[in-house]
Parts: sequence; C-alpha cells; structure tokens
Amino acid sequence: MTTASPPAPAAPRAAVVQPGRAGLGRAIVSEWTKARSVRSTWIAVAIVVMAGVGLSALVSNIEAGRWSTLGVADRAQFDPVRFSQTGEFISQFVVGVLGALVVTSEYATGSVRTTLAGMPRRMNVLGSKAVVAAVVVFLVSEVTAFVSFFVGQAILTAHGGRTLPVGSSIVTQIRSPVIPVETIGGVGALRAVFLCGIYLTLLALIALGIGLIVRHTAAAISLYVGVLLVIPLIIQILPSHISDGIEKYLPSNLGLAMIVVTTRKTDFAGVLLSPWAAVALLAVYAVVVGAVGAWFLTRRDA
Amino acid sequence: MIKAVALTKSYGRTRAVDDLSFEVHDGVVTGFLGPNGSGKSTTMRMILGLDRPQAGTVTLDDRTYHDLAWPLREVGAVLEAKAVHPGRSARNHLLGVAQSNAIPKGRVDEVLDLVGLAGVADRRVGKFSLGMGQRLGIATALLGDPGVLLFDEPINGLDPEGILWVRNLLKSLAAEGRTIFVSSHLMSEMALTATDLVVIGRGRLIADTTVREFISSNTEPTVLVRAPEDARLSDLLVSLGASVAPGGEGGLLVTRITPAQIGEAALGAGIALHELSPQLASLEEVFMDLTSDTVDYHGGGGTGAGP
Repeated sequence: MTTASPPAPAAPRAAVVQPGRAGLGRAIVSEWTKARSVRSTWIAVAIVVMAGVGLSALVSNIEAGRWSTLGVADRAQFDPVRFSQTGEFISQFVVGVLGALVVTSEYATGSVRTTLAGMPRRMNVLGSKAVVAAVVVFLVSEVTAFVSFFVGQAILTAHGGRTLPVGSSIVTQIRSPVIPVETIGGVGALRAVFLCGIYLTLLALIALGIGLIVRHTAAAISLYVGVLLVIPLIIQILPSHISDGIEKYLPSNLGLAMIVVTTRKTDFAGVLLSPWAAVALLAVYAVVVGAVGAWFLTRRDA
Repeated sequence: MIKAVALTKSYGRTRAVDDLSFEVHDGVVTGFLGPNGSGKSTTMRMILGLDRPQAGTVTLDDRTYHDLAWPLREVGAVLEAKAVHPGRSARNHLLGVAQSNAIPKGRVDEVLDLVGLAGVADRRVGKFSLGMGQRLGIATALLGDPGVLLFDEPINGLDPEGILWVRNLLKSLAAEGRTIFVSSHLMSEMALTATDLVVIGRGRLIADTTVREFISSNTEPTVLVRAPEDARLSDLLVSLGASVAPGGEGGLLVTRITPAQIGEAALGAGIALHELSPQLASLEEVFMDLTSDTVDYHGGGGTGAGP
C-alpha cells in the first residue's frame, strides 16, 4: 500500500559478542536446571529408590522364609539376585513417566517454544533432553540396584543363608540345606545388577522418544504402558507357536533376560535372549523410537 | 530489521498466512494489527523459526532465525502468557533459559527487577496471576538484551496499571534503538503505542504504513453541520458537489467539502449555522471498515457471512 516510514536513527546498543553458538553443551546445562527444578523429577527418583530397596527387602524376606518348604522346581528357580531387583517392575513405569515428561511437560505448557527459540538447531534439544534423562535415570537406577542387591543378600544371610561354593550346579542349589545367597562376585550377579540400571535407562529413552512423537503426556504414558504391559498380554493369548517366536523380543522380556541369572537355572533356557543380546536389541529399539521422535521434532511446527 | 517476503503458510486447506510481505524497522514500535485468527501468531512463529513457511522467507537483519549463533541474545519473544512449567520457580525458569544461550546468571535478577517480580522470584509459577505470568514472559524475552523483540498480544489479561506499564516499556525499548513488533487486535491500543503499522486480515497484507498515514489515507474528512434550515443547506451543499448524509439529532454529515467552504456558502445564502465541526474518524472504525470483509468469525446478528 503506502510507503513505510524511514528507519529511525538507532541509538547504539552495547553489543556483547560471545564466541561460539548455542550448542549441545549449553543445552545440557539448561535441561539439567529444568529437570532439577520440578518436583516430578525428585518424586520419580524417590519412588525408584524406595521401590527398589523396599521391595528387595520385602521379597527377600518372604523368599527366605519359604526356602525350607520349597519343592525341587521352585528351588531350581530360586534366584537371590532377581529377588533383590523386584523393584524394577515398578521403576520401569516411573522412569517411563520421567522420560516422557521431559518432553511432554514442555508441550503441555507451551514452554517448548521458548526452548526451541533458544535452540533453533533442534537436534541439540533432543540430545540434551536424552543426556539429562539418561544420566539421571542411570545414576539413580544403578545406585538403587546395587543397594537393593546388598540389602536383599543381607536379609537372606540374616535368615541363615549362605553363599554356595563357586561352580555349584543346579543340583547343589536344590539340595542345599541353607538358603542360597549370592555375592556380587558370583556368576552373573554383577552383570544382572548392572544391567538392571541399563534396562531402566533405555526404557526412559524409549519413553522420551514416544513423548517426541505424540507430544502429549497422557498419550505418551498410555502408549508406553501399552508396550510394556498390554502387548505381552495380547501375545500370550496367541497360539503358542506364534507367541513363542515373538515373546523374547518384547521389551519386558528383554529386561528379564538382562537381570535373570540363567547359569544355574533351566526354566528360561532358550526362552530368553542372552543378556547382552537383550541389551543390544533394547538399545536398537531406543534408537529407532528416538530417530522417529527426532524426525517429528525437526520436521513438525512447534 | 525484520523483513518478510511472500510468507505463506497453510494448515490443511486453510491459508493462515497468504503471500505476506512487510518490513519492521529499528527504533520504533511497529504494531501488527489484525482481527483474531488473521494469522498474526502464525507469522510471529515463522519469524522465530518455530513454524516453517510453505513459501517465502523471513529474515532478521538479512539472516534467517536458524543462522543466529545465540538467538536469545538477538531476538526476544513473548508468545503466550505463562508458557512455563507451573511447578518451577520464576528464577529457575529464567536461569534455564539463560543457560541455553550463555547469558550470565546475574542477568536473571536484573530482568526480575525490571519487570517487578523480584519479590516472587522463588515462588512456583503455577501460583502466578495472568498479569504476573505476562511479566515473566516479558522478563524471559528481555533476558538476552536482544535488539529485536516480538510481543504477541502482550496486554491480554493485564489490569490498567499493567497495560500502562507495557506501553511505556515498549516505547522505552524502541527508544533504545530496538526493533519492536507488537501484535494486537485492538486498534486503539496500537494507536497509543505504535508508530508504524502492519495490518493483516485473513493472512493477507492490508497495509504496511505509519499509524498517521493509515488513518488519514483511510478516512474521508467529514464535517458535522447543524442548521435550523437544514433542508435548504443540504440542497445548497449538494449543488456545490458535496455529499450529505443525516448525522443524527438533526445534524448533517458532509464530505468532499471543507469547513471553510461550508461556512462561506452558508453566509452567502443567509443560512445560520449552529455547529460546524470537523469529525475525526475513530481508529477503531477505520480498522473495522478495512477488515470487516476479512474477519473469519463474525459475532451473532445480521452481519455474518452466510449461515
């Protein structure tokens, strides 16, 4: 239409020149400030710790009392490591909520626009959120897993349990008059406890990726719970010749493969992947979901 | 300077922004005016690189938003009130934003002081009123001391004191040489704050001009005349080429003739005048006239565009 006004003479503003550009490092510092400054993070941390240690104590206590009454089959499956990691069942949902919220809480409030305006290279936003969520969940889960392990074994020991000799067979365990106790140096024990934390960390990243895809807290958590709980139930209903081929690839069973000590046990042989294959496959799931999330984050309008 | 060239953005079959080109200059407040739903927010999101235009470009001093090394040090934006996690304190919110662009921590307290939130800095944002939320949004935008500031409907939900504060803030920021781009659906508000105007309706540019030119070029000078012999005066003025319309309460609204010509013609014909006053069209009327056929959602009544 008509002409615009000429630009007014600009008063000189002191321009502070900062070298570099807004990148991943700054984004991580910012994300950590955001994560530590909301209650939900600390509530999640508290639940993981309490569920982990508390359920380890509870289940180890119950199982210790049952040893003398157990039959051969139950004695063969007696797994002092797994009893100490029972809290993982609850924690997997808690870390899922934590991972999803890192993304979806920003979409719920609209603050994601501030975040993306500050970080136009959006992969830095994804990277910083993934790093902060993974580090928090990893540290808390590992500490919890190890404390739970030692609490569990201490309780079994207090009930008169004892460590079986190194290299004991499944028969030795079944015939043992005292409750078997595991040491962290025992076969598979360190791996099982350590991978419990890895399992929860990978789950948190999968939930974060789901959050990027659906952008909505309730939807993301529903999907996540669906993958962990509902899909296994549906698969179980299928005829066994179909379900047998699928079950071991489900995230929940990958988790089981990571934290079960199979060396002395027979019931899981062939049903589960090996622990490290399970880690690798779950990591692939996390990368795939994360890549889809990244595609949506970088392509879609904020 | 913000420069938009042929910006186009559709959502499904709806054209939110349609071939929109305009410039926003440094050192003045530029109002971005349009009815609700006319594409103002979409345009602002495209300036910030949040939404991707289907066609066209928008640059800030000839750079795209994506090219800015430290975006928050160059552009600040207030898009929606209270776009902050309700459980986070104002201070932590600002700190997180500052850290992402290497803005010194001390700047957080400075902007909290500036917007008058220093006393509630550690309170959870969920407890904030809408006005306090709006102030926090402005504090967030000012964190990086940016040369370009975008405000999307900044006075929504503010009390009169808050509105006055925002007006003065915008003017003082512009006086410091910054580029200020403020959207509003209220013409009267823009008349008080803005110098330049970008007016849009249904995503299309209606005017890119100054407030003063916008008013003068879109209104016809009108004179209200009252005379006991109004019928005779009316005939006389029409014979001189003027247009005359009834002005209510016995007055006449006359256009296409100056007050001086009316007075002299009346004197010559011996007609007594009781009133002869130039009328200033209200800005609101000008705006409504210009955008009436571009408003998507009319209120109830006979003016709606179809059933």
